[in-house]
Amino acid sequence: MVPIKQRKKLTRGCVSGLFSLFTLTSLLQGQTPTPDLTFNQDIRPILTDLCIQCHGPDSVQRKASLRLDTEDGLFSDRGDYRIVIPGNLEESELFQRLISPDEDQRMPPESSGLKISPEQIHLIQKWIEQGAPWQQHWSFIPPKRAVFPSVRNTNWIRNGIDYFVLKRLETEGLHPANEAARETLIRRVSLDLTGLPPSPEEIDTFLLDNTPDAFEKVVDRLLASPRYGERMAERWMDLARYADTSGYQNDGPRYMWRWRDWVISAYNRNLSFRDFTIEQLAGDMLENPTLDQLIATGFNRNHRGNAEGGIIPEEFAVEYVVDRVETTGTVWLGLTIGCGRCHDHKFDPLSQKDFYQLFAYFNNIPENGRAVKEGNSPPFIKAPTTDQQQILKQLELKQNQAERHFSDLRSQLSHSILQWQADAIPTAIPDGSIADQLIAHYALDDNLDESKSRTPPGAFQDGDSPFVPGRIKQGLLFNGRHYLGLGDIANFSYFDSFSFSMWVFTEPNQGGTLISRMKDEHHGSGYSVVVENQKIQVNLIQRWLDDAIRVETVAALNPQRWSHIAVTYDGTRTAQGISVYVNGKSQELIFHLDGLNQSFAVDEPFRIGGGGGLEGRFHGRVDDVRIYDKSLTSDEITILSTAESLHEILAIDPGQRSDPQIAKLEHLYLMQFAPESLTASYLTLLKTRKEYRQFYRSIPTVMVMKEQPGIRDTFILDRGQYDKPGTKVTAKIPTVFHPLPKGLPANRLGLAAWLVDAENPLTARVAVNRYWNMYFGNGLVATLEDFGSQGSPPTHPHLLDWLATEFIHSNWNIKELQKLIVMSATYRQSSYANNALRSRDPENLLLARGPRHRMAAAMIRDQALAISGLLVERLGGPSVKPYQPEGLWKEIATDTDYEQDRGDNLYRRSLYTYWKRTVNNPTMTNFDASPRETCTVIQQRTNTPLQALTLMNDITFVEASRMLGERMIKEVSGTSAARLAYGFRLATSRFPEPAEHTLLINSLSTFLSHFQENSAAAEQLINHGDHPRDETLDKATLAAYASVAGLLLNLDEVITKE
Amino acid sequence: MDPFKEHQQNLTRRLFFNRSGISLGSAALTWMLHNEKAQSKSTDNTTQTQTAHTDIPHFKPRAKRIIYLFQSGAPSQMDLFDFKPTLQGRRATELPDSIRRGQRLTGMTSKQDSFPVAPTIFQFKQHGQSGNWISELMPHLGEVADQLCLIKSMHTEAINHDPAITFFQTGAQLAGRPSMGSWISYGMGSANSDLPTFVAMVSGSGGQPLYDRLWGSGFLPTRYQGTKFRSVGDPVLFLANPPGINQNARRHFLDYLTELNQLKLQQAGDPEISTRIAQYEMAYRMQTSVPELTKTDDEPEHIFEMYGPDSRKPGTFASNCLLARRLVERNVRFVQLFHRGWDHHTKLPSTIRDLTSATDQPSAALLKDLKQRGLLDETLVVWGGEFGRTVYCQGRLTTEDYGRDHHPRCFTVWLAGGGIKAGISYGKTDDYSYNITENPVHVHDLHATLLHCLGIEHTQLTYKYQGRRHRLTDVAGNVLQDILV
Repeated sequence: MVPIKQRKKLTRGCVSGLFSLFTLTSLLQGQTPTPDLTFNQDIRPILTDLCIQCHGPDSVQRKASLRLDTEDGLFSDRGDYRIVIPGNLEESELFQRLISPDEDQRMPPESSGLKISPEQIHLIQKWIEQGAPWQQHWSFIPPKRAVFPSVRNTNWIRNGIDYFVLKRLETEGLHPANEAARETLIRRVSLDLTGLPPSPEEIDTFLLDNTPDAFEKVVDRLLASPRYGERMAERWMDLARYADTSGYQNDGPRYMWRWRDWVISAYNRNLSFRDFTIEQLAGDMLENPTLDQLIATGFNRNHRGNAEGGIIPEEFAVEYVVDRVETTGTVWLGLTIGCGRCHDHKFDPLSQKDFYQLFAYFNNIPENGRAVKEGNSPPFIKAPTTDQQQILKQLELKQNQAERHFSDLRSQLSHSILQWQADAIPTAIPDGSIADQLIAHYALDDNLDESKSRTPPGAFQDGDSPFVPGRIKQGLLFNGRHYLGLGDIANFSYFDSFSFSMWVFTEPNQGGTLISRMKDEHHGSGYSVVVENQKIQVNLIQRWLDDAIRVETVAALNPQRWSHIAVTYDGTRTAQGISVYVNGKSQELIFHLDGLNQSFAVDEPFRIGGGGGLEGRFHGRVDDVRIYDKSLTSDEITILSTAESLHEILAIDPGQRSDPQIAKLEHLYLMQFAPESLTASYLTLLKTRKEYRQFYRSIPTVMVMKEQPGIRDTFILDRGQYDKPGTKVTAKIPTVFHPLPKGLPANRLGLAAWLVDAENPLTARVAVNRYWNMYFGNGLVATLEDFGSQGSPPTHPHLLDWLATEFIHSNWNIKELQKLIVMSATYRQSSYANNALRSRDPENLLLARGPRHRMAAAMIRDQALAISGLLVERLGGPSVKPYQPEGLWKEIATDTDYEQDRGDNLYRRSLYTYWKRTVNNPTMTNFDASPRETCTVIQQRTNTPLQALTLMNDITFVEASRMLGERMIKEVSGTSAARLAYGFRLATSRFPEPAEHTLLINSLSTFLSHFQENSAAAEQLINHGDHPRDETLDKATLAAYASVAGLLLNLDEVITKE
Repeated sequence: MDPFKEHQQNLTRRLFFNRSGISLGSAALTWMLHNEKAQSKSTDNTTQTQTAHTDIPHFKPRAKRIIYLFQSGAPSQMDLFDFKPTLQGRRATELPDSIRRGQRLTGMTSKQDSFPVAPTIFQFKQHGQSGNWISELMPHLGEVADQLCLIKSMHTEAINHDPAITFFQTGAQLAGRPSMGSWISYGMGSANSDLPTFVAMVSGSGGQPLYDRLWGSGFLPTRYQGTKFRSVGDPVLFLANPPGINQNARRHFLDYLTELNQLKLQQAGDPEISTRIAQYEMAYRMQTSVPELTKTDDEPEHIFEMYGPDSRKPGTFASNCLLARRLVERNVRFVQLFHRGWDHHTKLPSTIRDLTSATDQPSAALLKDLKQRGLLDETLVVWGGEFGRTVYCQGRLTTEDYGRDHHPRCFTVWLAGGGIKAGISYGKTDDYSYNITENPVHVHDLHATLLHCLGIEHTQLTYKYQGRRHRLTDVAGNVLQDILV
């Protein structure tokens, strides 16, 4: 900006020219200038829109060291002139710069691309003339409980809301609309509170209820319905960027539905918004958190996670924290805090430092920037459902009973063994080992044929290995050149559990690949167990270095001795999921690589002594290789690591037997020789243990928040870049706000409590505004996501503050707030507007009528399912895959395909529809569903031909039409007119007007004659969709009713809440 | 625009709406036509507060529309366009630190203990009067070398696919911003009342996945998102009537629906209903216009020959190129093809042969075809991926085989047609095709230039969201005046 010079005085003519233009415009608009201007409503928006970018909080962008966003700046004395002098237009530089005829002087400068309108100049003039009163930005002043304004038409008032609305209407010279018809009202409130239309029975009950609290009864019933929680959760999922996949390009599956269950339940049990907030943001930091409180923290793990190969994890670790800060800022504070990532906020008093101080609250999670491709990324927890918790308890009980039962038999067991031992003929006793889930056993004695592999026997490659004395009978000697190929067995992948057991003997300088199923090249993909420098290495490799796990034992094997080696893997895709045992003892492991993200299965044979290239061939002796398709327990490994045969153990004096020998003896005795009562008890024990383990393994997990030990340092990042750390900062509330109340910790928990502190100026306002928007289609603040200075000012500031304070006083009671809103006379108004009102207030900002707008995507589909009778009202659970055109996933992401569900899962409510971030369900998307990439607050409502195509042609709606047609025929015995009226009422909650009824009747006869002439077409139409049709119905009749039902589902009124 | 004039127009429009009652004709234009303001205030909440771009074009446009041939996965610049003859003598030598300069590498090769130089094994040749160097992998493109403006100094900020392709599409690495087609759709509206303004098509299998948001509208109203034309099933989702419903039955259906909706309109008076009635009519027209467009049976034999044998197979790049021409013939503003499979970390020589054999002929044919129809002057064609590839080998280097990792610091895109200088090469890289030595072109610069060609000043095409005016070029972008005619 050019330095401010001595201004040129304007001629009178210039100013009056502006006036006349303004006067003309305002006359045309039919408005008169507001006599009393308020700074926040009239002036601040102009300054923030046009001036603050260069004269605002951003110290880097600031021009001429001038701030117009603060009181000090606006009234500053700049030596020979002042910016604003109350009452003095001529001497107020601000005004003079706006009207300067000199282009170099005039603000905003041409180069900014911004223009100020004559009206805006006029407002500033008036404001200065009126004494230039200044106010802090409204949303940073805590709400004060407003006194009800005096109104004339007090009869209209039903509750506090109505005072404020009516006051505004009376000021504007408008009247509220009549109360909506009862059918309209019950439909409106049912859709609003449950997302579903009322049934004819519910409508009739309401119509016939003449008591004064008839409507209240409806509202109470709806608020108590489990469908209420689903409806509220669906909106919250947009804010929480909930999805069933991780996003970014791999976009693999994740499992967060237990968090969704929590949200539904929280709404249904009317958890206060205070606890709703604290548990989601910091449930893990509460004292002795419950499972539910831990699950709640999934909120801030719902952000996207990048699993792309080759990413730089530090870069994305920063993105995740940024997302949490932005989301938390948007959802609770209604502020565009994210701007502070790169620079001081340009419009609001939030510095870059403030941003990183908030960042610090969320920066202490033990997470990796590289997400897991398929499944949940740590930290996550097991999150059993209530049913599963019951089952777990039962299984635990059963296991405990079995343990007790068996241990009661212990003394009997020792006794029994002694007796048996005395009677038995030792030479006749066969040896044995762990047989459960053994898929192959290579004893490697004398020849390869004796192996118990289910595949054809193996063959030596690149030369034969001699059979030599082994640990158990014979074993194989490898010399580093050849290997034993065993064909297509042990084809494990990263979701499988598996184990290997074997004996190994090496000289100090020997080793190599013991067993493998991998490409026979250096660092090839696949899995292997390797001896290198006498340490055991386990490799699970998809792509060497960045998509692989390698663990290694800390302790070395003793050379020149036989060692038993067991490796187990539990299918969790992490290094943590691998255990290595040497001689029955679990080994400490070093994690060299822990970034496995894809299947490592390869089309290669299972090999003993080879795989991983010529250099890696094994040198040493191997014996008794066993493969299990489960993760062996340590008890089982103890038995496997006991080389002595049963026969040999029996030969040892009972007092001299080692614990492993006793364990093996007992196991084999119980499995083969014990009296039935003992064996049965033992088998029951093994079975109950296994059942518990297997069930526990099947329990869903959910990603949660967790604090890592100590505090990870947070730095201000230059331009927001992960690799440009600057000044170190610690967790702190932005300076513009009230500080953290005393006694609150400076961590996430403190932040959460601060957000729902009664002193917080924003949280309650932002929350009530969002709920208001659900019912009226607009917020009292139109910019739901921005309460900062660039956001819209509230249309009814006193109402907003009254609602906010009511909300706080009710202890953040969400259901009470909903009830307050829908019980108001304001809400109950008819949505009809005559032309005069419509042109006066097209967006219904003044609330002189009820809401009328197109429903959101989920509501449109759920309603179609409900009125066709298809809806399956099952609460909670994993996501489902309803209809979706074929091939949508595959055509842009080859390795995944959408496997559509069958049966009930096709007809669940839309909040359960599987949400893949990179390929959204088109039925939802065409009606503006949020893609859920990031926190989305405003639901768009467009009106497009794609919506028409969806409603007419998507199988979802075509099938629903047919089922609605069936309902009309089957549920009404009588004339087609009565049937059509019934169908119309199902769809709209009202009976058709005569003209409408006539059209429906005519359409039915048109369709009927069409389908009677085209019976093949009729059959095609009524067989569309998975749900079987009623074969007893006449085909042409059903097709005709289905077509009329299609009309109903396509009606503007039906997809509109009015 | 002058607020007074604007107000008068609004006034006239409001009168029109009041008098005409339903005002079908005008409301019908809202989706397809650029006519935001003609839509009377309605409960469509996306029309609020955002004013239309009555000022566009900001200046005389050089092109009316764009075809963007996006090569997803990142083609190797030094195997296709950026000829580096001196590299041949440096095969298998270590990439000098003076070139690498400690710049960051992806997690796939950053732990490699060696970075051997892998010169291309393909022959290069100069073509046409321009002398543009093009690899033997693209013989057909060589024939139209004089049409091309090769930008060899493109660079980007992201090093991995998702952020990089998102950056190319939206001007930001993270999801959430509108794609360039959406910006264009928002700024210019449509010039065709029966087809979407912005069409996306996908081809190639395997390789890196794509995502719907690449043609999404971000925070812009969803009506500006790209419509994906599919090669299987309905070309546009839900376009076809359900089984048993023919166009005749559909017409009956629509007639009754319109009548019922009109009764509601009379009763409720909400102009949104008239818009909806119009959208159903539009949908009905699309049911005819889209299949007409996508069925290429009416093309003569020599056209198929020109685009190559694949052009008869729906869903191929060749077939999509032909459709792209048909779309721009019908004045669709922005057509974007995405071809997958260019991510050649290993076995580059064999895989790039497959990719070029699928794309070279149709790309060149598209330029020839547009030219012979006189459309090339007003259609801007762009070809390129999300970043380039490294000169050093990823994995094992042999005499016949090598792989290349991601390289954001330089790569080649080409432009042709509407307003762009033909037969030039712009920008230079060092001997290793690793760093730019002359005229760097940032993604924002390319965006600014594309918008400029359409007559849009990129700093003026803005949308206010979350308290600030956003634009495709964020806070940067310079128009590449040097490459403009």
